[in-house]
Amino acid sequence: MPVIEVKIWDLERLVGQKLERSMLEQILPSLKCEVEEITDDTVSYEATHDRPDLYSAELLSLYIRGLLGIETGLPRVKVVEKAEKAEINGPDYRPYALFAVVRNVNLDDEAIRQLMQLQEKVHLTFGRNRRKISVGLYDLRGIEFPVKYTVADPDLKMKPLGFGFEMCLKEVLKSHPKGIEYGHLVSQYDKYPIILDADGKVVSFPPITNSEDYRVTEETRDVLIDVTSTDLESARRTITLFAYAVSMRGGEIQQLQLSGKINEVSPRLEPDMMRYPVELNRKLLGLDIGLEETMRLLAKMRMDASPINSNELEIRYPYFRTDILHPVDISEEVAMAYGYNNIEPESMPPLHPGREHPLEVFTRAVRESMIGLGLIEVNNYMFTNPGLMYDKMNVPRQPIIEVENPRHEAYTALRTWIIPQLLNILSSSKHAGYPQRIFETGDVVLPDDKSENRAREERHLAFAIAGKGTTLTNGLSAVKSLFNMFGVPVKFEKYKHPSFIEGRTAQIVTPEGPAGLIGEVHPQVISNFNLNVPIVAAELNIEVIHKCYLSQQKKEH
Amino acid sequence: MKETHFHANGQAPEILLSRQKKILDALLQGKNDLDEIARTISTKREDLMRDIEELKARGLIKIQREEREITVLTEEAKRYLETGLPEERLARLLQKTGTIKRGEILEASKSLGIPFLQDEVQPAIMHLARAKAITFINDALQLSSPEKAEQHVSKVRKMLESIEKGETRSVDIDYLKKRKLVETRKQTKIYLSPTAKLLSLNEMGLIREAEVITELTSEIIESGKWKNAVFKEFDLSVEIPAHPFGKKHPYLEFLDWIREILVSMGFEEMKGPHVELELWNFDALFQAQDHPAREIHDTYFVKGGLLGSVADSELLKRIASVHENGWNTGSRGWCYKWDPRRALRLILRTQTTAVSARTLYSRGEGKYMCFSLDRVFRPENLDAKHSMEFYQLEGIIVGPQVTFRNLLGFFQEMARRLGLGEVKVKPAYFPFTEPSVEGFIKHPSLGWIEVFPGGMFRPEMLSALGLRNVNVAAWGIGIDRIAMTVLGIDDIRLLFAQDLEYIKGSKRPIPQSLITYPGTKTTALSDRNI
Repeated sequence: MPVIEVKIWDLERLVGQKLERSMLEQILPSLKCEVEEITDDTVSYEATHDRPDLYSAELLSLYIRGLLGIETGLPRVKVVEKAEKAEINGPDYRPYALFAVVRNVNLDDEAIRQLMQLQEKVHLTFGRNRRKISVGLYDLRGIEFPVKYTVADPDLKMKPLGFGFEMCLKEVLKSHPKGIEYGHLVSQYDKYPIILDADGKVVSFPPITNSEDYRVTEETRDVLIDVTSTDLESARRTITLFAYAVSMRGGEIQQLQLSGKINEVSPRLEPDMMRYPVELNRKLLGLDIGLEETMRLLAKMRMDASPINSNELEIRYPYFRTDILHPVDISEEVAMAYGYNNIEPESMPPLHPGREHPLEVFTRAVRESMIGLGLIEVNNYMFTNPGLMYDKMNVPRQPIIEVENPRHEAYTALRTWIIPQLLNILSSSKHAGYPQRIFETGDVVLPDDKSENRAREERHLAFAIAGKGTTLTNGLSAVKSLFNMFGVPVKFEKYKHPSFIEGRTAQIVTPEGPAGLIGEVHPQVISNFNLNVPIVAAELNIEVIHKCYLSQQKKEH
Repeated sequence: MKETHFHANGQAPEILLSRQKKILDALLQGKNDLDEIARTISTKREDLMRDIEELKARGLIKIQREEREITVLTEEAKRYLETGLPEERLARLLQKTGTIKRGEILEASKSLGIPFLQDEVQPAIMHLARAKAITFINDALQLSSPEKAEQHVSKVRKMLESIEKGETRSVDIDYLKKRKLVETRKQTKIYLSPTAKLLSLNEMGLIREAEVITELTSEIIESGKWKNAVFKEFDLSVEIPAHPFGKKHPYLEFLDWIREILVSMGFEEMKGPHVELELWNFDALFQAQDHPAREIHDTYFVKGGLLGSVADSELLKRIASVHENGWNTGSRGWCYKWDPRRALRLILRTQTTAVSARTLYSRGEGKYMCFSLDRVFRPENLDAKHSMEFYQLEGIIVGPQVTFRNLLGFFQEMARRLGLGEVKVKPAYFPFTEPSVEGFIKHPSLGWIEVFPGGMFRPEMLSALGLRNVNVAAWGIGIDRIAMTVLGIDDIRLLFAQDLEYIKGSKRPIPQSLITYPGTKTTALSDRNI
């Protein structure tokens, strides 16, 4: 989630009131903003993904005014009557561009910093790192209307931001820092998106960089904003968002008549609308809040509402609210204005008797049996790597579920058996004294093309006994005692497995078929784990024991 | 029962501790002064007091106490026996110096290394003069007869040594008293005398020493030998070796208790696969396909590019519709072209909400509450605070009357049962819940920490899964954080500790709410019947 920094004096200037620290600590969380730090002049907070309008001081101030009751209902902006013109003929892979103009603004250093922050955070989150949306702001001085969103050849020249000289677009992708970072969004195409003014001067190379000639400074009076996008609806809401944000710095919004691929007026300043059945307050929130009260609460959240009938409101909210999809989103606004901490929790009596999953119950019975046999339970990650599962165990590699994007070489795949992880624990516990007797129960995952998720899970039990004098007998007697506790007969049959010593390995066989294997760990494997004591280890499928136990019980009854 | 310990005439032998037997032996040899007996068996009189009382209680001896005065050495005399009498030291000094002035004696004693105190000088001269061992020349003196000095000194010494041994015959007590070398004190002498019973038992050879048992054996138990034996006393101050034991892993035990709490609140446990289709982990939750959490930074993708499958094509259609235009739910949807292939990609589940989605899909509408306590995976670097694999405690409460207040009620109840104290809530954002909430608890050192995220599942999600007329309150708790608080650890890796020492040494994490008697702060026995 993006962390936003705002100067308190700037916010006070926008709100029009002194803001005490305690006030900020209370108001920001009620707008889903989690305060990270408040210093003498700065507050930083984490905003949520769904609220790009809270990524800078401008629109944040709007909501604070609402919650403080300074100004409620839909935010109002001044509008210049005459519309300018823009032609939209962008490339098919980034077809949309929307424009807005805000005139007569007052920008100081902090105001510019806030707008840059808004732009950067919107790019990162809502804009999906400029892939879906990118935004540009320009000093309008010297730009002639109609502006054009069109395509350009890679050898068209421009002066990119921060550079004192011209270079061609292809070069921008190669050597400009933003070109290097975002070039992949356009570099595979023959033609690049470009914004030109009426005279053909390059205003911007979206979504890469702007022209240095129209950089926004403290002298800027009129601002041109563009949003280019792959998604028209998101672009519409974003251009409105930026037009409102810039206009909070004291300007008037001027709309543009778009033509070409899009024929509409931009930015859209009329509010968005939604019908809200007030009974949702009771049904979803559990709060008896009536029509009038709902209207009052929503006004605090900068929405207008008017009754359609006794049960329904028509809600009008700023078009830049990208997060309102469904009436339940209005319910949340009501709850937020009401105050989450004012909502009284209501206990839910059990709807039915509780119940653990049968596999967990049986697993716990097995775990308790193992503890009764004097073994200590350990807990490993399911994440492991094929080297541990197979190479270190003297076993040829077998199919295993691996991930495409591991973070650590030790954790690249899901375990297919547990014994190797037990040996790892023995290996890192040599100081803990012998004999060591450990066990673990847990899930292992095996590739399985027949399953809908192409994997099959098994619940396993594995144990290991290590120390001078340990032989297969120690392991066999533990398995036998375990099965005795469940009244399940067990046999041991000769078995060969490369991790174990030949002639000292057995398959564990039950009435429901093989349940696992047991053996004295091969000296080579013991050495692979930097150990030097004899070890007997076993691994069993708990689900087989579970099945045996159930059928045994059936027979008895 | 064999009764070999009975004598033929019916009289039982007396079985005695080794030391008590030794006391009787000395007594029967004619020694009746306890001081003497103590010396005979090389021990101190005080150590025998309990033994003689026991012997008396068994009717074997009589004890007679006699108060009397005894003469003992004073502290001064004891010192003189070690360092020499003042006149003895003066004689030694005079032998070395020859004639010497009175006033120079102290000085000379220092240079010769013979210890002398100022007020010892005059008495020393006096005693040597009386013994006629020195002569005076003006204010100087000399040792005129070393022999007489020697005679005097050895006579006094002998007397002192006699007193030390407790003998007063041929000692001039008055002389010693005058010189403050002896004093009289009161002392209780203890004399033992055998009873008739002892004498008769002794005659019959029935005074026996008990066997000492250090380790009980089957033979000792069966033969009845233990009846005539004493058990060697254990030294409880010796370090005790550890008993071998089995135990639950502390974290897994904590999770067992959590299960118990959820079950007691009426929740049924649900399960789902760790390898999951994006569909169940994201799409079914109305999480848009371009949502950042679905990128490689936040989700582990299964290698190989294989796709999973979903049998229910209607489900896919419904999910496509809610994503694209909100279907008939009254929602706008996310307004993009939903890609079914993307939904079939395989990942390691990032949230057990996937399990909730599968449960809702298979159980449908109704009134029920379920929980899942299982592992999820997220691409994180493993360090003290982050892990790529951790447990989530997930739950849903389903029903037509379920509201947001019930969710807050659950948080409150859960915090109470876990002993976490007050819960504060604030609005939050999760793609699949509205309203969404985050519950915070007050941590003693960290302040308010976020432990209870949740919300009401969105109608878009529920409708796609086939639920129309119910609300679902849902929560997904990062249980590791609470476990770390309860287990008192600050490194998340310890929940999967590789060191047996740590696991062996950790204490059991039983939630207080489960072991405290209801309505009380103490655990009085009388509360048991509640």
